[in-house]
Amino acid sequence: MIWHIAKRELYDNLNSLRFALATMLLLGLMLTNAITHLREHPERVQKYRDAVAKHQSLLTSHAENSLYELAQQGPGRLYKQPSPLRFCAEGGETFLSDHAEGGYHRWSTDTLKSFWILVYPSVTPNVDNVHPEVTKVDWSFIIGYVLSLIALLFTFDSISSERERGTLRLTLANSIPRHTVLIGKFLGALISINIPFILAVLVNLLVISTSSNVHLGTEAWERLGIIFIIAILYMCLFLVLGLLVSARVQRSAVSLVILLLVWVTFVVFMPGTLASIAGGSASSGPTRGFYEYSWQVHNELSAQYRSRRRNASENSTQKVQSAGEYVIKDAEQQERLHEERLKQRIDQVNRARIITRLSPVTIAQHLLESFAATGFERHLQFLENVQSYARQFRVFIADSDKADPESLHILGVRAGMSEKPVSPEAVPKFEDALNLSKDFNIAATELMLLMLFVVVLMSGAYLAFVRAEV
Amino acid sequence: MLITLIRREILDNLMTFRFAAAVFITLLLVIATTVVLIKDYERRLADYNTAVKTHHQQSLEKKTYSDGIFNVDRPPNPLSLFNVGLDKQLGNQVEVYHGFVPTLWDAQMHGSDNPIMNIFSSIDIVFIFEVVLSLLALIFAYDALAGERERGTLRLVLTHAVSRGYILLAKYVSAMMCLLVPLLISMLLAVMLLTTSTSFSLNADDFLRIAGIIFTSIVYLSVFYLIGMLISAMTRRTATALMLSMFVWGFLVLVYPNVILAALTPHDTPETRTASTFSQIEQLWEEFDREHKQYLKNDAVPGESPGFNMGWVGSSTRRFTKNAATLKYSYQNTFRIEKLNERSEPKVPHVQSYYQFLVPLTLNTANQTWLLRKPALEEIFVKPALVDRILLKLSPVGMYDAATQAWAGTDLFGIEDFFSAAQRYRQTVIDYFYDKKAFASRQWFAADKGAVDWSTLPQFFFQKSDVGINAKRALPDVSLLLTINVVLFVVIFLIFVKSEV
Repeated sequence: MIWHIAKRELYDNLNSLRFALATMLLLGLMLTNAITHLREHPERVQKYRDAVAKHQSLLTSHAENSLYELAQQGPGRLYKQPSPLRFCAEGGETFLSDHAEGGYHRWSTDTLKSFWILVYPSVTPNVDNVHPEVTKVDWSFIIGYVLSLIALLFTFDSISSERERGTLRLTLANSIPRHTVLIGKFLGALISINIPFILAVLVNLLVISTSSNVHLGTEAWERLGIIFIIAILYMCLFLVLGLLVSARVQRSAVSLVILLLVWVTFVVFMPGTLASIAGGSASSGPTRGFYEYSWQVHNELSAQYRSRRRNASENSTQKVQSAGEYVIKDAEQQERLHEERLKQRIDQVNRARIITRLSPVTIAQHLLESFAATGFERHLQFLENVQSYARQFRVFIADSDKADPESLHILGVRAGMSEKPVSPEAVPKFEDALNLSKDFNIAATELMLLMLFVVVLMSGAYLAFVRAEV
Repeated sequence: MLITLIRREILDNLMTFRFAAAVFITLLLVIATTVVLIKDYERRLADYNTAVKTHHQQSLEKKTYSDGIFNVDRPPNPLSLFNVGLDKQLGNQVEVYHGFVPTLWDAQMHGSDNPIMNIFSSIDIVFIFEVVLSLLALIFAYDALAGERERGTLRLVLTHAVSRGYILLAKYVSAMMCLLVPLLISMLLAVMLLTTSTSFSLNADDFLRIAGIIFTSIVYLSVFYLIGMLISAMTRRTATALMLSMFVWGFLVLVYPNVILAALTPHDTPETRTASTFSQIEQLWEEFDREHKQYLKNDAVPGESPGFNMGWVGSSTRRFTKNAATLKYSYQNTFRIEKLNERSEPKVPHVQSYYQFLVPLTLNTANQTWLLRKPALEEIFVKPALVDRILLKLSPVGMYDAATQAWAGTDLFGIEDFFSAAQRYRQTVIDYFYDKKAFASRQWFAADKGAVDWSTLPQFFFQKSDVGINAKRALPDVSLLLTINVVLFVVIFLIFVKSEV
């Protein structure tokens, strides 16, 4: 019986104006998305490769000079690998920096040079962009905004219009349980929306995968599958919402007004407003204040060092020792400062992200970002990778220094370290790896939250319909 | 007769659920947003005030004329509450000194902004109107004609000797009056909230600008009402009219503005133009460098050192700063002698004549660079952005956005006003130097015989453009919106007159 009702709904929908309009709209959007991706992605990958190659050659030249030089200059810039699935979710990537600076020098005197530290760019790469700001047409926009609106337009009258026409009474006069009618209507709407959606997705993927410029691996297809399931889940949320309101309200026009206003509030406004509320609560301290403080810390340390050198009558090895200690300690201090600032900023963003989860569209967008390997969570993973690589690099330096018998094994100064060249192949390479299972772990909470929303609304719709007068 | 019709329509509209919902949702959103945005503005203002204070402090600490590098700050625009435009996005602090003409592309961000917070979209009051009011207008309009036709009341009305034009006019006027209620009340409340907040100091001009924004909003609202009416006049059934209206709304508001830029504009910067201009600029500075070295070689002091081998304590910087992407090329030469060795005293006249030669040369080269750079920046950055804006204006949403940005002064021109002010301030500083004969003075590089007294240097002051200029910038878009109104009304009239009842 459920299928019977679903089939009837489906036939009703297939002939309707909204079906035709939805198909056109989704197809147009998905095609635009694919074409834009094909144009932009190869450029992005090329830029990434060029940048990596440039910094690799710098690293090689340092390594061929001497171990000290390599240790002092550091591994250079570390770049974030662009995701092949960026067309699914752009995730504010233009506001996140695409690299971390693994080699940042602040000072040098005639005898000493500051050691490299890990630093994160402090400004957005977007500061002189005078173009009008628009949302990127990615899947998360198409699904989050357009598809949700279409879902509401498909269900706003599914029960109320039958009530208006009196056919609902007719249906229920046959001994059909109400939940069967509800589920049948839900399935009918779900299938009829999925036809244009799947069509559009297929066209999109066809265009993208047939192009020779963009290559999607097995993992990318797995991710795409998960993204598709999330999209369906999110679509269900709005279908059920439509059914709920439609069951409660007597007239379709009223139902639509309510639904549109709910949609506008939750989907269009909540994300921005909530983020501003959360973002205004705490600030991470002015940039200049930070640099002033960082110099102050450094100056204190260097004053200590100088007074120690003036007072003590040390032999040459001890002098090297104390200089090395000073340089290394300074680098550690500075790196810690930068890390603390980064952590502060990340905490602030995380707080804002938690609050914005009240809006379903943000949940869906976060999920899509996680699985498309773009956006903020991905950035955090990248930073984690960078930090673990920095540790690896330091261990490598210490180990190869120990391997040289002529070295004094005092890190931080030229006199105390190995001066022999290092084979560039031996230096560990930075690999920015993507990890699907990790993404899954991060996304689990939000996935649960989305499911919870659907279940709650579903039971709400059931209760509303069971108790509604016909 | 017209009055009777209007009264009937108004009563019809006022008693509906959609009217109550419209008022409620607009008020809710506008008030919530205003409260949040006022907080945000206060934070930005506090940042700005600290920045101004520290920069003023720093400028007083400059001991020599050559040290005179001033940071000027762009205040946050209080009207960014209505349309934020580029106000938050672009840099709000720029260095002003004689050797460089500052532009938007050399600006930096001061303040405590967390750059990562930019991944969240920001909202403003105009955005609410853009989305909600247009939606409400369509909801009010979709059954205006189709509904009456369905119910048969249209036929009834037309049996009286009422011209069809009157009916249209009555419907339009009454629905607009109902739609104006949420718009005006929410705007009024927003302005009230603004005036009660102590950090906002709005003057008469600002109120005129807000009035301009309200007027533009009304015109925009009317465009969408007329679109809804057109759909309603063309369709037989309300359900079709409603569906069509929703998709038209989705297309115009949600889809078109985002799709058009992605689909049409290839965002590659004209690299050859950048490269050729930059090489021209480089040549200018190479020429400068040659003349500079030539002078040092030929002057009375042996050697080419610009420090003249004097014994001194203090600080100095000499550096070229370049950035090929934004065509930046500048030369900084600051010199501050705190204590001069007695034996170096005879060299001081040489240094004085050196700077008397060098500084005008730097100035000259900087001005020539600017002559090359200005048109290039226009072509590379401004022109594509303007093309984008024109493409956006094919939808009424784009026109509305552009017009309100122009009123609020947060559009590109409004921001550029600040940088022209910074450029004028640079000229003031230079004039001040000429006035004091600073280049040839000992205080240009040495503070050992007393530091420079900056108290007579005029302070930087940025005055927002006149409201007339805002109006001029907003005029094309507002008049375009008005034209669309008239055209739509005429089309609806023609369709309605010819249609069967």
